Amino acid sequence: MSELDRRFDDYYAKRKFYGGNSCCPGCGGPLFWRMAMEAFGPRTIVYGIGPCAGCTMRSIKLPSFNIHFSFVADGASGILAAFRAQGINDITVISSAGDGGTADIGLGKISAAAERNENMIQVCIDNEAYMNTGIQKSGLTPYGSWTTTTPLGKEAPKKDIPLILAAHHIPYVATVSVAYPQDLKKKFEVAKEIKGFRYIHVVIPCPTGWRFDPAKSIEVTKLGVDTWLWPLYEIKDSVLHLNMKKEAKPVKEYLETQQRFRVMKPDQIEWLQKETDRRREELLTLDGKKLFY
Amino acid sequence: MVQVRMMEGNEAAAYGAMLSRAQVVPAYPITPQTELISFIAQFIAEGRMKAEYIKVEGEHTAMAAAIGASAAGARVFTASSSQGIVFMEEPLWMPPGMRLPINMCIVNRSIAPTGGLRPDHNDSLLQRDTGWIQLYCENSQEVMDTIIMGYKIAENKNIYLPVATCYDGYFVSATASKVEVPEQKDVDAFLPPYKHDWYSLIPGESKERPSRGGSARNRYEVQQANERAKKIIEEVDKEYAKTFGRTYDGMIEEYNCDSSDVVLMTMGSMTGTARDVVDDLKKNGKSVGLLKLRCFRPFPTEEFQQLAHKYHVIGVVDRNTSTGSAGGGIVSMELARALYHLDDKPLIANFHVGLGGTDVTPRQIEYMADKTLEIMKLGRVSEPVDWVELKDLGPVM
Repeated sequence: MSELDRRFDDYYAKRKFYGGNSCCPGCGGPLFWRMAMEAFGPRTIVYGIGPCAGCTMRSIKLPSFNIHFSFVADGASGILAAFRAQGINDITVISSAGDGGTADIGLGKISAAAERNENMIQVCIDNEAYMNTGIQKSGLTPYGSWTTTTPLGKEAPKKDIPLILAAHHIPYVATVSVAYPQDLKKKFEVAKEIKGFRYIHVVIPCPTGWRFDPAKSIEVTKLGVDTWLWPLYEIKDSVLHLNMKKEAKPVKEYLETQQRFRVMKPDQIEWLQKETDRRREELLTLDGKKLFY
Repeated sequence: MVQVRMMEGNEAAAYGAMLSRAQVVPAYPITPQTELISFIAQFIAEGRMKAEYIKVEGEHTAMAAAIGASAAGARVFTASSSQGIVFMEEPLWMPPGMRLPINMCIVNRSIAPTGGLRPDHNDSLLQRDTGWIQLYCENSQEVMDTIIMGYKIAENKNIYLPVATCYDGYFVSATASKVEVPEQKDVDAFLPPYKHDWYSLIPGESKERPSRGGSARNRYEVQQANERAKKIIEEVDKEYAKTFGRTYDGMIEEYNCDSSDVVLMTMGSMTGTARDVVDDLKKNGKSVGLLKLRCFRPFPTEEFQQLAHKYHVIGVVDRNTSTGSAGGGIVSMELARALYHLDDKPLIANFHVGLGGTDVTPRQIEYMADKTLEIMKLGRVSEPVDWVELKDLGPVM
């Protein structure tokens, strides 16, 4: 066994996540779950399926339970009710779904769980398309992106799910990125201490679907944040706090790193830049303010 | 003390769930099931029932939450009807394969576009291939008793299958009949607390059902559990009779069948009407009896094979359609398959009545009895199914 292998094994022996998995090279899924499990601790169970089905979920060492991709937050509500009925109240229940599960087929389910203020942490693991089925457009696919069902680029922008959830007046909403691990872990630790329905939305890189060199996974994902295409913020008790630099890089820099955006025309890129600027200004204005009363 | 009062089917079902100490109830309202879940909500609000009611936003979530709760160690109850059952179709397939003993009332109602709010059996019979046990009830008392027995059957560790307690909307759900409410302590003695040997979601002690691989293996195991359930259903019925003094003759009830040349076979609420008609016909010298099919899944094949030689014709009354089928309704096709290999087997007459929840009238039942006797005389069946409703039979009585 090489020294590297030994260090690898030692490292994962201490984690709630197995080293080695069947995900594509450069996938952000395992990275996300490893960090999340560290933040949550051992009295945690995970319900649901993230992107690319069982690839990452199988690597979680804590109890995990899933049914099928279209089952979002629902089974976790049942698990929580069963625990309450049995007087078990010290287990953190994480409910996981991908971008399609969250923004498309399961949006009603998440909305209902939020309305009931179910005591769970709902995470959306967003790789911006139905990747497991071979790159089809979802409600969280960004504007202009090629997928196999949007060969000329997606016509509409990404649904603003974090703000839609925040409008349910839930205690905590956060956007995170695997390219900013400290911010990600901190938000999970905050979320863990809050009771009620908490929503955490992470964009994870998918080299296979986004069409880029897997070695550049973090670089590309970081640019997504730095261009303000995926701004990082948290909304606690309806008050918004930005967790990023005010300056923005041009969106073009991010778009050029991925072949999925090669179908975009110059006027579309220009529109996206304007739209991103407008949103950035709005978010900067709202920073520190209460969004909903 | 045993309480006796008039009760509608939906209230009786709510009592059944309460007496069974269901712990989690995820449910979504749909006519004619609504009163049932309103009763449960009221019981919980009054503190009479200790359960977690999850007010879900649709039937898909109702069953998904039921699955989560059942795997996490709670006794689960839910209910739906018609479009709700169809909307639930995706998660409805899961509990048998996952071997989760959920109890669900299917308050039968016909399905759109042709159906209305009133009952036929297509909503529950559509689920016949899923692996759920299906028990059909005739009146409020049977609904309450069947729910309690259902948990006992479902939670048997040699079975671990979900149970659907089916009863007709309105005719049972909203019709009051006499009910004896058993005492809680007797139900507790009959039905011990729920504990699934295969599942735990508690960190440190978690276990999940060991997968033995493959769809064929899983479906085979569900089939085997269904086969074993036949004996358990009979045993639980006998034990229930011993404790509470009521029996439903297990999977099939033979009513006024002695020295009958032919029998009609019914399911659900129409059985009550059929009992009266058969009694009258017997008095008038017509040799016709009645079979009440109580358990459609597992289909009581062996029991049918044993009783088949006694009758020349079985007239199956199908309150459902399987359009484009090999011939006739779902129950008659099942029966035909069950009897196919017998040397000495009865003819099978088949009737469609009560579709979309129209009344199944005494006159119709008399007509079907006469037709069945006629077929006996002829010695052959001339049409695969008789659409009774489309015939003008004169006055209903």
